[in-house]
Amino acid sequence: MDAAIELIRVSRRYRSATALQDISLRLEKDAIHGLLGRNGAGKTTLMSIATAQDWPTAGEVKILGMRPHENEQVLPKICFVREEQRYVDDALAKHAFNAAAQAFPRWDAELAAQLAREFRVPEKTRIKKMSRGQRSAVGVIIGIASRAEVTFFDEPYMGLDAVARQLFYDRLLEDYAAHPRTIVISSHLIDEIAHLIENVVVIDQGSILLQEPVEQLCDRAVTLVGRADAVAEIAGTREVLQHEAMGRIVRTTVLGALDEAERRALQERDVEVVPVSLQQLIVRLTAREDTLKQTTMDPSQEVAR
Amino acid sequence: MSNVAVHSMAVPAAREQEAPRSSFARVPSAFKLQFTVPSQMIWVPLSVFLLSWAVAIGIGLWLRHVSGDGPTINTGASQATIWCLAFIAAYSASHTFPFSMALSYSRRVFVLGAFLAFATVSAGFGALFSIAILLERATGGFWAESYTFDIPAVTQNAGVLGAGILAGAVCLWAMMFGFFWSILYRRVSLAMLWIIALGLVALLAVTIMVVAQNQWWPHVGDWLAVQSSYSFAGWVLLLTLVLTAVNYLVIRRAVPTA
Repeated sequence: MDAAIELIRVSRRYRSATALQDISLRLEKDAIHGLLGRNGAGKTTLMSIATAQDWPTAGEVKILGMRPHENEQVLPKICFVREEQRYVDDALAKHAFNAAAQAFPRWDAELAAQLAREFRVPEKTRIKKMSRGQRSAVGVIIGIASRAEVTFFDEPYMGLDAVARQLFYDRLLEDYAAHPRTIVISSHLIDEIAHLIENVVVIDQGSILLQEPVEQLCDRAVTLVGRADAVAEIAGTREVLQHEAMGRIVRTTVLGALDEAERRALQERDVEVVPVSLQQLIVRLTAREDTLKQTTMDPSQEVAR
Repeated sequence: MSNVAVHSMAVPAAREQEAPRSSFARVPSAFKLQFTVPSQMIWVPLSVFLLSWAVAIGIGLWLRHVSGDGPTINTGASQATIWCLAFIAAYSASHTFPFSMALSYSRRVFVLGAFLAFATVSAGFGALFSIAILLERATGGFWAESYTFDIPAVTQNAGVLGAGILAGAVCLWAMMFGFFWSILYRRVSLAMLWIIALGLVALLAVTIMVVAQNQWWPHVGDWLAVQSSYSFAGWVLLLTLVLTAVNYLVIRRAVPTA
């Protein structure tokens, strides 16, 4: 499949920090990608660079096969409304939508009006006077109604209540189904967006930790619940991501799928298999990576500390 | 609804072959972006224009009332609109620029749209300036010999039209100047902003000292004496074009969140 977004050995360094470190990433066209990671991992920097709002210190960026920086051939096909987006001073929501209609060739004004009603965006309140959730709704509406070929949502749920978040997920999926395009969503609410995304990119401390299709990723780990000796036997030499003991019963999350023989052994030894949620898996993998980094840290740095 | 279900519904759209679009195709949209909120670029400056004029007329009438006949009164109230528009241009850099990035305008298109919008507003100001001169002349400075726009220094060489053109040119320069400082603040740290500001002041001071030390003031005076409002407007517009290019160089690496 064609790539919508390509980052080739991209780094972004600031005076005192490195936000992205030699990242290479290829995201396919017409799919919903989840960009996950902890605060400060580099998600927003990555999206800013991909949308030409920021630029890399090193490396190359291609959107739909073109370099986006100052490139009006590709920029109208990109939409990135930030988490704390600034709008024209004193603007009402309708002003922001009118401006977006001028900028995006595929803008759907009817959809924007419908979403504004559904999200209950106030018509006569200036955006700067709106609640955080209402401001987020304005950004979400621009993101969906723009129908940009490559759309980025940076933690779009900030301030949105559960009903509004569900509305966002539902409307995004509906519109995506009718008008396939490339969507990248960064989020901390991993399990909430798990059903939306096809591909997961986990970023940690400026590096790509993993990039896999969701289904493949979920098959990578299992949680075994049962007697300690039985669980240990089935787990074998697999890497343990998480281990909790509750008396004689243990709950162990291990990396690696079970084969047929092991699945039969589960019943014989009365061990239960619990599917690992995407959120749990990402959290465990991120924690594991941190541990690995700490244990492989240069001893001289350790002494210097 | 699961992603699998939805994705199976997704029918890949036929990608029509798109002809390459002009790099400047969205300049008209970037121009309109500046007028997204009509109060910002039209109604607020117009209100300032009328209110500052009204205040100046009021003060003129009061002075004439308390002091009787006397010399002609020239006020500086015409500058109020220019300062107002300079601040609005600074707002454009601080607020409209980040929004323009969300709308995926290139920085070049944004600056061109802003320049054209500022030029349009400045032309409007210049036209109002000329109309105001005619009104002041027709009423004898509102029956108090009090003039806000019909200032001899502006009108004596080139008349009403030249004064309007000069006012428009100065207004455009002031807007790009306000835009410059705001976008520079976005680009560099506060300390660097002050270093640049003080550096420019120092450069100006050195220029004045060089002129004074070499006793060039008479030449400067001669040069000024032969200028008309038209030629002044030309110099100001030339300076504005340079400033616009500088603005683009500054905004080229400005990040909307900074």
